[in-house]
Formats: sequence, structure tokens, C-alpha cells
Amino acid sequence: MPITVQTLSDAVARSHARIERLEDQLNAADALLGDGDTGSMLARVIEKMAATDLSATSDIGAAFNALARAIMSATGSSLGTLLATGLLALAKATKGRSELPWIELSGLIGQAIEAMRIRGGASLGDKTILDALQSVAQSLAGITNASAAADVANAAASGARAALEHFKPLPCKIGRARLFPEKSTGAHDPGMLALALLLERSDLPESSAACLLKTVP
Amino acid sequence: MNHLRFHSPMKKLINQPTHYVDEMLAGLLLANPSLKLDGGSQRVIRRANAVRSGKVGIASGGGSGHLPLFTGYVGDGLLDTCSIGNVFEGPNVESCEDAIRLAHGGAGVLCLYGNYGGDRMNFDMACEFLEAEGIATRTVLGTDDIASAAPDEAHKRRGVAGILYAYKAAGALAESGASLEEVARVAQKAVDATRTIGVALSPCRVPTANTPNFAIAPDEIEMGMGIHGEPGIWRAKLKTADAIADEMLERLLADRPIASGSRVSVLVNGLGATPLEELFILYRRTHQILSERGITIVQPLVGNYVTSMEMAGASISLHLLDAELEQLLLAPASCPFWKV
Repeated sequence: MPITVQTLSDAVARSHARIERLEDQLNAADALLGDGDTGSMLARVIEKMAATDLSATSDIGAAFNALARAIMSATGSSLGTLLATGLLALAKATKGRSELPWIELSGLIGQAIEAMRIRGGASLGDKTILDALQSVAQSLAGITNASAAADVANAAASGARAALEHFKPLPCKIGRARLFPEKSTGAHDPGMLALALLLERSDLPESSAACLLKTVP
Repeated sequence: MNHLRFHSPMKKLINQPTHYVDEMLAGLLLANPSLKLDGGSQRVIRRANAVRSGKVGIASGGGSGHLPLFTGYVGDGLLDTCSIGNVFEGPNVESCEDAIRLAHGGAGVLCLYGNYGGDRMNFDMACEFLEAEGIATRTVLGTDDIASAAPDEAHKRRGVAGILYAYKAAGALAESGASLEEVARVAQKAVDATRTIGVALSPCRVPTANTPNFAIAPDEIEMGMGIHGEPGIWRAKLKTADAIADEMLERLLADRPIASGSRVSVLVNGLGATPLEELFILYRRTHQILSERGITIVQPLVGNYVTSMEMAGASISLHLLDAELEQLLLAPASCPFWKV
């Protein structure tokens, strides 16, 4: 089955169901470097996305656009605006289409990353959400239209996880966090962590720390 | 959940951390009928009177936690609108769009705000959307903090208290009916003529956070620290007010030499928890130093103009005047926190 507006709604609903349990963990990850509000910010953003009614349209581009608008009214944080930027790039690329084959997903994420790079000024390797998305796009490059939904989801989750672990020992090189390299070295980037936990395949165990140690099958 | 976090070293007069901004805005509006709340997210402050047709609009914006900045400078001869974000977080794109649209009187809008990555992203996106709607915009960024980047990278500097002078110059010129190009030119000129350096004595706490935004020993100060606790130039034992003022002036004048016979405006600004008395002690020394160098002070400002909640400390800004900037500085203006 190809990607439709329903696929987007389902993904938002899954994130919505999960974010509340992740909020404190993401806040704690952000508190090492920032104001400690990444989890609460994402909860607010996803809440607003989930409240966005996509049922009236079959146009995937219009749906991406509506979700981007929801983010832009929910937060002024850099991570939120970057996510909105990525969704706007996807909206532009998929305008007027009601079905997308899964093999296009990797390339579309690449287009979103490019728009986010231009907007935010981060380069790949700076330890941001862009690196996590790049890793996801690479992981998804191997899927075919015949791939099972579970394989696609596994590829996305392992891509996000691989980036998270790869960048953990490295310093962040952009934004306020670049001013404190000693704090970002050895710590997960809150945005990368959020993506990895939201894409995590298995149900979250009681202890979310345990979830971090789990390997993706 | 206990919202009254008495275990914190910083007590706050609040109800719930998440209500901080909205309740602050509610009180600000009730106390100041010259301001109105607007925008889809209810995070835009505008003048109660709609922008005059044909006048260039001036929109600013930024995170909460710095009053009187940014919202407090909406008024005649200053800003038309201001988008406001959560504490130390940029205003959302929707609010930036609304602020620009509400400032548009048919002659375009100058976006004038501090040089911070998040604010820039949000305003840039908003400007792109509105340019597509046919609203002309220009952007000028406050970059006055000399401690935040070296002179050869001055465009990377953060905007702090000195943005006030750009508000004043651009606001006054816009009232006179000048074009968007002219208003943007003079705003940039005012930014280029202004230098600021700050010193922090103690941190502040974002209402939703459990801990202060940085740690510093009780007897230490940090020279050059930014208004969100960005690292400064050095940290060492507290010195006398005169020694601190001497170093701040020395750094400001090294960054932008000012010749004898020049005229400047001086802003000695409190970061929130430092008493006015101490600001006047700093101003006294600042006046001495500038006078000794043959520099004349015009319209000194001493007080809390750009704060960081309960942070203790001060900043000193020098605004080098020419005939045009002096005339604009002295032009009438009125907002809740500054009347000329």
C-alpha cells in the first residue's frame, strides 16, 4: 500500500500516543544544554498536529502543509521551526498527489533535510536533527515497494538509532549548544533522541532508560 | 505536581510556570490601554490604534523574560507591533507573520530584532510567506554585544540592550513618513553606531526549569555574559563598581574608538535584580570617563530597559551620534517604559 494522507494521520496519532511518556526524558536530555523544555515543546507541537483535521483532503501536499502550519502556531523553538520547514518542503514536493510509493520516501526526506539546512544554517555533522534524518533517509534507501510495512518501520527506527549513538560522543557544533562543547560531548542531542524514541519499534518499557539500551532487531 | 518550587534558590511570584507569559501579557495590557493583544496565537502586541496608512511599519519580536524588551517598546515613535515567545524562546512563525501583517500600512514593514538563530528563522519564514502576499519587508538585526564575537565577525554578534537605539531611530524616521528603504538604512546605521557589553553577578531561572540558567560562585562575576547566560569573556572575583565600569568602557572604546568632541547617548541598563542605586554608581563613573575623553553625553538612560528576569548585573551601551541620529533620538516617542 502506498503512502496516503491516512498514513500521515496514523503516524501523527502514534507519535501523539507516545510523546506524553517521553516528555520528562526529553526535558531531562535538554536540561543538560538548554532550558530543559524540548519534551514539553514537542508534546505541545504533536498535540496541535494531532488536533489538525486532515480528513477533508486526499492531497498529501495539503496535509503536510496543514501539519507544518500547526507546528508554526504551537512553538517558536528552533527545533519546531526546523520540523515545520521540513514539512513545508515535503508539502511542496508532494502537492496534488494522493498516493506516494514508499520508494520515494528516502528522496523526499533528503529534500526536507536540504530545506532545513538552508533555513537553520546547520551542516551535516553538526549533531542536530538533520543528522538523524539523514541516517533515516539512508536506511530507507534500501526499501522497495514490495517491502513490508514492518521492514520500513524497522529501517527508519534503526537509522534514527544509529545516528543517535554515532553522535553521542561528539560535540554539537551549532546553536547555543556549540557554546558548551563539554556539555554536549557524551550526551544525546535532544532532537535526535526524540526522533529515535518516536520511531522506536517496540512498545516502551516502564523505564525509558532501558529503552535506550535496547537494540533494534 | 507542585508548581511552587520552593526548593529553587530563586523564588518567583507566579501561579503556574506554563501560565507565566499569558498572565504577564494580561497584566501588561490591563495596565497599558495604549497596547492591544492580537494575532492567531494571541502573542502579538500592537498599538491600540491601527497603523497609519502610508507609514512604514516596524515589527519586532523575541522571547519573553526581558521586559521592558521587546513588547514594552510598542508605542508612538517606536514599534508598531511585537511578536512574543515563551521565556527565552523565539516567537512562533504565526505570530511573526501576524506582527508583520498588523504593522503593514501599505508602505512595507521593517523587521527589527536581535540576532538569534531561532528568531531569525521564524521571521525569515514569515517574511517569505508575506512577500508572496505582496507585503514588502526588510530586516535589520541588533548585533551590539561586543563580547559575543570578534570585530571581524561583528555580523555574528548577538543583539542586547543597544537595540533600543535602533528602535528609536527607525521609529522616529518612520513617523516622519520616510520610505521602507530609508527606515531600514537608518535602523542599520543606529545598530552600527551602538556597542554594548554586559556583566553578570548572578543567574536567573526560566519559570519552567528547576535550576538556574547557569552556576556562578557567590563572590564571582562574569564579564561579557549574554542576556540568556551565554558565556562571556572572563569569570573572576567581584571588583569595585569603578573597576568594572573602567573595564567595560575600555572594551567598548577599543571596539569602536570615539573621538574627543563626539556626542554619544549612554544606556546603563540593569539586568533585573540590580538596584537602581548601583546603576547610578556605574553611570557616575561612566560619565567621568567619557568627560575626561572630551565626549559629550546626550540623553543618558539609566534603568532597567532590557532585563533577564532576576539576573543581577548590568550592561553599558554607547550610541555614537551624528546629526541625523541625534535628531531621531530626541524626536517625540511614547511607550509604557520610555517617553521622549
